[in-house]
Amino acid sequence: MHEYSLALSLLESLRARLAEDPVRGRVKKVHLRQGELLVLSREALREAWSLVTEGTELAGSELAIETVPVRVRCLACGYGGDAKYLAAEGWHVRVPVLSCPRCDARVEIVEGRDLAVVALTVEERVETG
Amino acid sequence: MHEIRVGFEDILKKQLELAGKNYELLSTHGVKAFNVMGAIGSGKTTVILRLAEALRRRGLRAGAVAGDVAGDDDYRRFRQAGLPAANINTGDDCHLDAHRVHHILEELPLDEIDILFIENVGNLVCPADFPLGTEMDIVVISVTEGGDMVRKHPKIFAQTDVMVINKVDLAEVVGVDPQRLVADYRTVNPHGIAILTDAKIGRGIEELLSALGI
Ligand SMILES: Nc1nc2c(ncn2[C@@H]2O[C@H](COP(=O)(O)OP(=O)(O)O)[C@@H](O)[C@H]2O)c(=O)[nH]1
Ligand SMILES: [Mg+2]
Ligand SMILES: [Zn+2]
Ligand SMILES: [Zn+2]
Ligand SMILES: [Zn+2]
Repeated sequence: MHEYSLALSLLESLRARLAEDPVRGRVKKVHLRQGELLVLSREALREAWSLVTEGTELAGSELAIETVPVRVRCLACGYGGDAKYLAAEGWHVRVPVLSCPRCDARVEIVEGRDLAVVALTVEERVETG
Repeated sequence: MHEIRVGFEDILKKQLELAGKNYELLSTHGVKAFNVMGAIGSGKTTVILRLAEALRRRGLRAGAVAGDVAGDDDYRRFRQAGLPAANINTGDDCHLDAHRVHHILEELPLDEIDILFIENVGNLVCPADFPLGTEMDIVVISVTEGGDMVRKHPKIFAQTDVMVINKVDLAEVVGVDPQRLVADYRTVNPHGIAILTDAKIGRGIEELLSALGI
């Protein structure tokens, strides 16, 4: 399981960003995008996140994770876009097939392994007095 | 509450950049590297040792990196076989990454190596998500793990150019038809190449070298 080290990398990258460009208020939610190919246990990542954020300004924040589909490029015909998916019976998971949807040549993966913070939900400080 | 969009920065991008650097470094020294993935005990080390012998017969020099959670048993096997080798212990991590490989390349006599095999941590789940900067990825499975390995872990097979089905000498004993594994592999990876081996006696190793473009 590598979710702990992914959580640490996320924290590091997000804190660096917040130091440069602070938000006014407490971060309640961290919105992530996860490439479809990246193997990840969301439960383990959430657990790791609550551990690594302890004592930081991100403590108590929640992760909201959205999956983004694989994008491919075909060097044979120039196709660029969504991957083809396995359609055969008896396969339980969505599996992208690295064959061109247009010409069946082998394609390259352009996107689908990334993990990134895309947005933050911030609770604004209530002005008192 | 309000939502703030932040410009997205892939946290795995650094690894990708490092993989690119590894590839460059290897190229500078004329080394072709292969990332050898697969389950524990499928025969990764044995296959690498056989490939190294076959390369030696062709006048090519192989080197090896042993990646394991702990211990140096594979590293010793590589050294005993006369290969320049290095050992990476990942501790709690389940995969090798480009950063670890980057450091280990500094320990290897790259000018004395033509072909470098990097044995990944035994695991069919995540290693394919972490490019190392190698020429090609190989996944080694064996018939003793059962006939449905490809169906259980389709993602790694869909992404890997060459699949080795090892221990075919035991296929009948364990009642697994290697052709079924080949058919499943073709379904998830129409452009992949499947090679059947018995690494114990070296069967299929020449075909594997051809599949690797050597
Ligand atoms: N019968 C048989 N045994 C094999 C074959 N290849 C490897 N082995 C044995 O399987 C065990 C595990 O092999 P090893 O190379 O250490 O697997 P690794 O964990 O994937 O590196 C060893 O005892 C090998 O001798 C094969 O083709 N046939
Ligand atoms: Mg081994
Ligand atoms: Zn095409
Ligand atoms: Zn891992
Ligand atoms: Zn370093």
